[in-house]
Order: sequence, then C-alpha cells, then structure tokens
Amino acid sequence: MRTKVSWIIFVIVSLIFGFLFLAPLWMVIRGGFIVSGQFTLEYLFGVFKNPVYTEGLFNSLMLAVGTTSLVTLIAVPLAWLGNKYDFPGKKLVSGLILVPMILPPFVGAIGFQQILGFYGGLNLVLGIEPTDWLGSLQYWGVISLQSLALYPIMYLNVSAALANVDPAMEEAAANLGCRGVKKFFKITLPLIMPGLFAGGTIVFIWSFTELGTPLIMNFTKCASVQVFDALKEIGTNPFPYALVFVMLAMSVTIYLVGKFLLGGKAYAMQSKAATVAGTKNARGLKGLLVLLPFALVIFVALTPHLGVIATSFSVPGSWYQSILPLEFTTGNYVEALGHSMTVSSIRNSLFYSVLAVMFNAVIGIAIAYVVVRSDIPFRGALDSLAMLPLAVPGLVMAFGYLAISSHFSNLDWVKEQPFWQNLLDVRTNPTLFLVIAYAIRRLPYMVRSAVAGLQQTSVTLEEAAANLGANLWTTLRRITIPLIMANLIAGGLLAFSFSMLEVSDSLMLAQREDFYPITKTIYELFQLIGTGKYIASALGVWAMMFLTVTIIGSSLILGRKLGAIFRV
Amino acid sequence: MAVSIRFEHVTKCFGDNRVVDDIDLTIEPGELFFLLGPSGCGKTTLLRCIAGFYIPESGKIFIGNKDVTQLAPEDRDTGMVFQSYALWPHMTVKENVAFGLELRKVPKAEMQQRVAEALAAVKMTDRADYKPNQLSGGQQQRVALARALVVRPKCLLLDEPLSNLDAKLRLEMRGEIRRICKQFSLTAVYVTHDQKEALSIADRIAVLDKGKIQQCGAPREVYKFPTSRFVAHFIGETNFVEGTVEKVSDREITVATPVGPIGSTVMSAHPPAVGQKVTLSIRPEVIHIGYEPPPDAGNVFDAAIHDTIYLGEMAQHEVNIITASSGHAGDLKLNVFDMNPKIVAIDNDIQMAKIWVRKNNVVVLRD
Repeated sequence: MRTKVSWIIFVIVSLIFGFLFLAPLWMVIRGGFIVSGQFTLEYLFGVFKNPVYTEGLFNSLMLAVGTTSLVTLIAVPLAWLGNKYDFPGKKLVSGLILVPMILPPFVGAIGFQQILGFYGGLNLVLGIEPTDWLGSLQYWGVISLQSLALYPIMYLNVSAALANVDPAMEEAAANLGCRGVKKFFKITLPLIMPGLFAGGTIVFIWSFTELGTPLIMNFTKCASVQVFDALKEIGTNPFPYALVFVMLAMSVTIYLVGKFLLGGKAYAMQSKAATVAGTKNARGLKGLLVLLPFALVIFVALTPHLGVIATSFSVPGSWYQSILPLEFTTGNYVEALGHSMTVSSIRNSLFYSVLAVMFNAVIGIAIAYVVVRSDIPFRGALDSLAMLPLAVPGLVMAFGYLAISSHFSNLDWVKEQPFWQNLLDVRTNPTLFLVIAYAIRRLPYMVRSAVAGLQQTSVTLEEAAANLGANLWTTLRRITIPLIMANLIAGGLLAFSFSMLEVSDSLMLAQREDFYPITKTIYELFQLIGTGKYIASALGVWAMMFLTVTIIGSSLILGRKLGAIFRV
Repeated sequence: MAVSIRFEHVTKCFGDNRVVDDIDLTIEPGELFFLLGPSGCGKTTLLRCIAGFYIPESGKIFIGNKDVTQLAPEDRDTGMVFQSYALWPHMTVKENVAFGLELRKVPKAEMQQRVAEALAAVKMTDRADYKPNQLSGGQQQRVALARALVVRPKCLLLDEPLSNLDAKLRLEMRGEIRRICKQFSLTAVYVTHDQKEALSIADRIAVLDKGKIQQCGAPREVYKFPTSRFVAHFIGETNFVEGTVEKVSDREITVATPVGPIGSTVMSAHPPAVGQKVTLSIRPEVIHIGYEPPPDAGNVFDAAIHDTIYLGEMAQHEVNIITASSGHAGDLKLNVFDMNPKIVAIDNDIQMAKIWVRKNNVVVLRD
C-alpha cells in the first residue's frame, strides 16, 4: 500500500541522509567539546580569547556583510528592471546575467590579480603610479569577487518574488496616487521581502565561509583560511574543531533568523495575477537605458574571467607591465592537457560528480515523492531537513568528513586491510568522502526541482496508470519520471555543475595528487612558480566553458522556475 | 461476463467528515449506473473507493464475488475515465491506449489489433500517432475511454467524464458512452452532477447527499416520484406546497393547504397518517393553465398571472393562487411551464386564469 511504501522510503532516506549529514556535524561538535573523554568548554572560550581567531571571525563576518550588501545593491535594481520592462536583448542578458554564478570566484581571482595587481592592466590604463590595488584593498577585492559571483542567486530569488506580485497590487497603489520610488518602497519591497531574505541568507552564509577566494587572494586573516591552515593538526588540536563549531553555530543562527523571523511572513497573493500587463515596453533610447545596467554588470562580473582567458592565452611572462598580454599562444592549453595532474583531475572530477548526481537523483526523487505524494505526518520535516545543507557551510561539512576519515584511519582494522583503507582513509583514496560531500551539499537542488516537478504533475496521471494495473515501481518508471524529466535534468545539471567546480570539499579532502579534482589542481598549479598560473588559467577556461554550456541548458529548460531552486 | 458491484455499509471519512456514510448498494451486472448529487455529496469519493484510491474506514466492497476492499488499485481490474482524462502527455494516443495491454503482457500482434479496435470504437483511428495536447477536449475524452476499455475491465468507472466539454459535445458523447457500454455489456458507474446526463442515459440513478443515498431507481421513477424534498428539488424544478393530511383512502390522499384541499393519487407503500404535516411536490410542467379546465382536471384553482417569461417553445409563468375561502390572491406562488403557450401576459398586466393539476401528478413528501 502507498502509505506503507512511503513510510519505508521515509525511514530509509532519513537514515541515509541523517547519517551522511549529521555524522560530520557531530564529529565537529564532539571534537571541539569532548577532549580525552571529558566535556569541556575550554576550547570554545579559547577561540574567543585568541586574538587571531577573533580577528578571523570578525573579518569573515565583515566579508559576509559587505558581500550581502553589495549583492543586494546589484541584484534588486536589475531584477526590478527585468520585471518591469521589455527591452531589446532582454532574453540574451537574462541568460548571461546568470553565467557568473557557476564561474567560481576562486578561478576568477587569478584573472582579477592580473588586472588589478601591482603591474596589472588597470594601473596602466589609468596611467598612474603602480598601485597594488589588492595589497591595500584585499578585503574589498574578496568582497567584489564574491559579490560578482553570488549576485545571480539574489537576482533569481527577487525575480521570482517579483513575478509573483500581482500587478494589480501596484496598480491599486498608483490608482490611489502613490508613485515611483515611494510605490516601490511602500508596496513592492514589502511584498518581495521573503524572496529577498531567502536569497540574502544563502549569500550571507556562502560568503561567510567561502574558502577559495580569500585563499587565492591571499587574504589569510579570515576564519575559513585559518581552518584550512589548521587541517594538518586535525588529529591532535581541538581548536580548529571549536572554530569550525563557532562558524557552524553562526551560520545556523543566520539561517534560522532568515527563515523564521524575517522571511517567515510570506504574503499569499489572494489571486493569481489577473492582468498579464505587468511589463512595459521600452524601445529606442529608453530600451538602451534599461539594457545598460545589465550590460555593465555582466561586463564587470565577467572581467575577472576575461582576465583568466587572457592569461590562459598569453605566453608565460608576457603579461607584465602591459595592459594586455604582449604575446599570445595556445601552448598553455596543450601543456594543460599534457600535465600529469590535469588530465587525471578532469577524469576525477567527472567521475566524482557523476556519482554524486546519480546518488542525488535517487535520494532526491525518493524524498520528493514522500513530500508531495504521501500524507504521512513527518513529510514536512523531511522536506526541511533536505534543505538544511544549504544552511551548513561546505567548509564545516568538509571538516567534519575529514574528521570522520581521520577517526577511521587510526583504527586497526582499517589500517590492516587495503579495502577499508581505500574506502575510508582520504589520504589513501578520497573517492567515497568526496562523492558523499559533493552529493549531500547539492541535494537541495535536486529535491527542489523534483518537488516542483511533482507538484506540477497531476496525481491523476499516476492514478490512471495504477487503474490500468501498474504497480508503484512501474508507474514511477513509465509515467512519473518521464513527466518530471525536464526538472530532473535541470536539477541534475545544476548539481553537476556545482560539483565540478566545488572548492572547499575538494581542497580539504583530496590529499593525493592522483585523486585531485579540477579545483584542487587549479589551486596547486597556481602555487607553482613560473608557468603554473598560465596552465591553471587554461584549465580554468576549459572548466568554465563546460559549465557555461550546462547552466544555459538548464536555464532554457527551467526558465523562470530556476529561481525556485535557490530557495531555502 | 459482466459483474455486479456491491457495497456493504461502506463509510469513508476525511478527518471528522463522513464523506461516505454507511452506504449499502448493489449495482447489477451490465447496468449503466449513475451516482448523482451536488458537489461534496460523496459521489466521487464512492467511485474512488471502487477504484481503490481510497480505502474505506469500515464496510466492504465486492466486485463480482470478490472482496476488493483492501486491494491495491492496480490489482482491481477496473477501467477508469478521469474527469481531467489524465492522458499521459509524453505518450502518443496509441501508446496511451496500449499501456494497459503492455502491463498485461498481451502479445504484440494481439495488442496492435486490440488498440486498433478500441480506437475504432471511439472513432479515433486517424489520430493514433498524435500527442494528447494536439487533440480537442472531445477527442481526449474518447481516447481516455478507449484506454479504459481496451483492457476489457471488469467494470468501467466514469468520473464526470463530460464536464470539461462544451454543451453540444456533451450531448453527442453521452449517447456514445451508453452505446459503447451496451456494446461491450459493461457494468459502468458514472459520476455526475448533471441531472440531464443521468436522466437521459442511466439504467438506474442513485441520488446522493451528505454521504447518503437519498433515492435509488430508474430515471423516470426518480423524476416522477421523488421520495424526499431534496431529490424533488435537486432533480428538475418543482413547486413545494406545505399542508396537513386531511383524508387517506386506498387510492387517494387529500391534503389541506392554505389554498384549499389538494388531492394526490400517487401512493407509497407507507402512506402518511391523517393529521401529519407533509409537503406536496408539483412540477411546473404538470400544471396546466387556461380558461376552461376539462371535467376530469383534478385540482383546479383560480390564479393571477403576474410574471411571464416567454421562451418561444414555452412560457414560464409565475402565478399567485386565489385562496378559495377569501377570494383574494394569497402568498402561495407557483411556477407554471406552459408548452406551446397560448397565454402570454403583455406589459406585466395581471391576468386572471385557471390552473389545474391532475391528481397523479401530485407527489406527497413526508418531512
């Protein structure tokens, strides 16, 4: 019977998810509070007493505040314009505006340095004394890079919220004499608040714990880099655990505040928008004026990546004290594909990501099915639980998995048997933990898209199959999955893209060169003196091209619904 | 081949709401049986209990001699036509129809033949390779019917199958559905809120309200001889006249009303007792209007016509009955349908006329 099957799925999924998600968090908490079998608050307080750690936490918090503010300033006006006006080229820019999301700021940072560095292009364009824009303004550099990568999340959330606002609401205000800016702040803004906070929460947590960008920008005085630097002591020093716990606690608090205090009161529209005429036509000069901010943001957001592309094509050493590289070559690409690390890293990333997406597809469909199609009591809780990985920083999860692995690797039965050692010790083979880490962190995208698909598919289509004699499995295989395939592909593509360019898990868990994924390889190449930077850029360009294609594909399939995937 | 469907004290609740309340009913083999009632009366719930989408809280359901109460939907072998048709948009018409046969592992050659036959039966042969969203509502409806029929189910379940069609198609399709049911001699249960559908093609009708069967019988029986105010009011239009039983004999009941005594020769198995309060149901079309009632007219009254709607084939009059004792127009208003109308009030001038109702057209309802 349906209910019985739902319960079985519910229990199995909860166990798998609970174990894979909660176990690493538990390891973090345990490591920080229980030392030599004794419960202690010494290390937690120690974090706050240590000026290095408090400075790091404060800087991370400031990075998050700055990034979230800047993202809001960029995204809200754009979303408002996009919702309000039809203008020439709108289709194109609404697609392009999302592209920076999947280009990791961590890769962009390489190009950014080429342009803004001491002997970089900007100084020469401005014709001023060489200024190290980054040395003195590291903090702003990290914020800019992160904002330019994260604003699409906010843009999608706010766009979706704006699309939900019945135009009659604004018309009613206008009818009563409220106009322009006042109308926006009095009527529109309060109505889109939940969307704004949903996006803001994710951006805040993301930038609070971002590891790759500060690392490449050499901004070491922030908590995430401090955790990364302390990884070597993971078996012996409780301080990193306590620091990670503090980051976790702060993230969860922000998530809860965002969800329940600020974003909780969504105003249900009493009617579906009755009038379609929400958009005005902007032609000619006016159209260009609306297009301009979009073009500007896209250009600025892509500049670091253009820098990466330029770097990748320049002869090593030829982009120095010049606006653009002086000599071009495709040699870096050849070398990138010939380098021992790169080829295996592409293969590794593909392998990990495909496995993770497959895992997510199965678990995601199962969760969505229970949430949408069953009426068992705890299905709402399961839905919220599956969204939680969005609230927990990747850094914290990665640290937790590392702690688990470190715990296992010290056990005798793991040490003695190569099979277990390969499975459980990341120093030998990180595949299992990397796949789990990739999968769990991207599960929300899969669950959201599967849930959306099921909600849009009438249950009578499944009943009709049952009526003709199809059991649950046949119905799922022949009817349900084909019908929600578009959603599954879109969710899967997103999960796949994000896995391919995942930073924190990859940097922390992959410790042997032959198991490096793409991102870790880029990081390691970047560290090499001489040609490293150029080969790293070439590899980055390969990855970016690949991801641009997938994100455009999924946005074409999902259209405006893409925004719903980034909701918490 | 055709089977019966039997309900034994079936109750289905949603929370505290008893949507189907202790239903006892047998649907005979080969019968085209209608569940008729207003929205929320429990008719669709009852149908979904047969299909297995709901499991009743108590009671038993039999298809043929088999107790199917706890059986999963896929094991019941019923063919259902959904209100929304539920055609799978990712499959062609042919694939939709073949789905049930595939599951039954019917050999390929036979499958093709049966799909072709089923599509021919609903006149959709030339649309076999279309996708559902390329079809009109009426065509989708027919494909849904073919998909349910092709597996030769034990019984056919139809959930408001015509409610999404326009008026003209509805007329056409309801005849078609009856033809097909009889052609395959299927036991069919048809849910609708449209009384015209039910009256025109049903073998029997059960009128439901608040989860209970109010009346069950052949269309003519339910229409002509309703047993409760609800049924009389729900099916067709009627006039209610309140009164008290004055005299009861073997063949006739006389009821005292504010406008004088009214006689009825419609006798039930348990006639009311003298002095009991009753309601008379008199349908507008059984009331005659004119100036010279025939000698066997039955109940005759003087009436003032004070509103007339002229519709061509008939006129709908609203009349006030003149109370016999006082000679004044009282409060009792009746609706009268005059076919091929002779009397048409002009400019709302109140006209005087006589109305009469034969005694076999007056139904006595106990409150």
